[in-house]
Amino acid sequence: MGVAPELELRGVTCLRGGYLALKDASLSLAEGETLFAMGGAGSGKSVLLKTAAGIGIPNSGDVLYRGKSLGRMSSREEAAFRRASGFVFQDAALWANQSLFDNLALPARLHEPSWGPADVDRAVRRAADLVGYAQDLHARPAELSAGERKLVGLARALVLDPELLFMDDPSASLDEAAAERVYDIIAALKARGRTVLIASALSELASRCADCVAVLIDGSLCAVGTYDEAVTWVDPRVRAVTGRLKARTATPAWAGGLAGAWAEAIADDSFFLESAEPPTGEGPGFEAAARLSDIINDVEGADVATDGEKKDSS
Amino acid sequence: MLSKIGRAAIDGFDEFLYAMGFFARVLRESFLLLRRGQVGRRVLVNQILFTGIDALAIAAAMALAIGAAINLIGSSLLAEFGQGKLMYTILIIVITRELGPLLTAFVVIARSGTAIATELGGMAVGHEIEAYVAVGVNPISYIAAPRFLGVVISMTVLDVYFNVFGLIGSFVVVQLVHPIAFNEYFRNLFAVLTPGDLLSGVGKSLVFGVIISVVSLYRGFAVERSVTEVPVAGIKAVGSGFMLCILADVVMTSVQYLG
Repeated sequence: MGVAPELELRGVTCLRGGYLALKDASLSLAEGETLFAMGGAGSGKSVLLKTAAGIGIPNSGDVLYRGKSLGRMSSREEAAFRRASGFVFQDAALWANQSLFDNLALPARLHEPSWGPADVDRAVRRAADLVGYAQDLHARPAELSAGERKLVGLARALVLDPELLFMDDPSASLDEAAAERVYDIIAALKARGRTVLIASALSELASRCADCVAVLIDGSLCAVGTYDEAVTWVDPRVRAVTGRLKARTATPAWAGGLAGAWAEAIADDSFFLESAEPPTGEGPGFEAAARLSDIINDVEGADVATDGEKKDSS
Repeated sequence: MLSKIGRAAIDGFDEFLYAMGFFARVLRESFLLLRRGQVGRRVLVNQILFTGIDALAIAAAMALAIGAAINLIGSSLLAEFGQGKLMYTILIIVITRELGPLLTAFVVIARSGTAIATELGGMAVGHEIEAYVAVGVNPISYIAAPRFLGVVISMTVLDVYFNVFGLIGSFVVVQLVHPIAFNEYFRNLFAVLTPGDLLSGVGKSLVFGVIISVVSLYRGFAVERSVTEVPVAGIKAVGSGFMLCILADVVMTSVQYLG
């Protein structure tokens, strides 16, 4: 008997506001895979993502996490699923009546009740560092620009270092530098074996990170396959969505797209050992902070490598 | 035409069943909140402060005015029939049994009902409720249950305040028209006040509190995608709240007097 996929949708249909937002969608995602749900505006990408994450309830069909239906989970199992997953909303969806710190701290306070305030504080600040948000964490979301809110929303999803991440248009509202950082974070998560489901219409991002591609048109999953298969799809309606995907060369596109030097470095196991900050204390907060430190090092390593490459080439 | 009426009836019945299911879940999570008392405690305290404490001034002012008006009208009218003593009975019936709970409910609907419906509607439009679900927070236990308990507790407290201020207001007017000793006034009042009057007032307050909170929460959660739905949710919360409270008042009063 084979290993159950980490996430599976079986014949999922969703009605939203009287129209069929998702029609009989089936797909599966193995552990460590990155799947891109691509499609135009209103094609059902966000509905697919929210249903897969158990935020929206399907009208028919089933969503399974490690073989267990989300709809039939006990409260303990559901809490474990929520602890293991993170969701990045298209519009950040920060809680307006709470400070940024409380926004980031809630998942930790909820799922790690044994953590003390220092542990929570450490995990929150590392998550903010990871996404490159260095402003006051006691501000309210309304005081931030859309791009900053998006970064904080990403940090909230990452604060517990989830093994399964859902990202709805992760680069929306971001400037180029912030978008680059988000791409690097996705690549670093991928390198760590995290499973990522991304809804985006951006071919460039898919070219860098996707293992699998799913194309949505008017709520129907018209094509699902590996990235290499997606590049060769010929159906004109599907090509209208995937037409700008570039065939990959020998270097994996998700790594090569980041920076050549970093791609080589990340392929070498010693990269993690050398760059990872050792935990400086004991306790669960230090463990989470250390895990996030690893990812930060990956991202910053990519920046350094990119800069180095630019200097070399100049 | 008939099919439209039939469809509307079926939709209305479906919505009623859905609302009952929602109410049952709110009730269940409220009991759990009382037992555990951790998640949502701050929201509960804030709700009681906003609904129960911040509304004290307006409830007290209304009660003083109503108590005074009843006394002014009653004392001149009843004296014509030589039934001046009935003033105390009328005060108790009107303030404790009827107007106290009902006017307090109107104050709470206008302040807290609209606030809850529009706040939740804003959260729904901003996907904040979905964000709670995504991190593993049950919106019913974290958002709905503390507000439900806060409104029910506050309604009861406000009704008690309304009674106290209404009867004091009446006493103040008595002093202007027919001066009477403080002890005598309250001795006459308590002579006609029965436990049934108190239970009736408190019972109505509890029922109105349940109606107002559940209607407001339901209307707020019903907002789906547009900011224009938010004020509509507030308006519907007020309209439905008023209608259901009056309906419940008629039913409870009928049971008390006809049963």
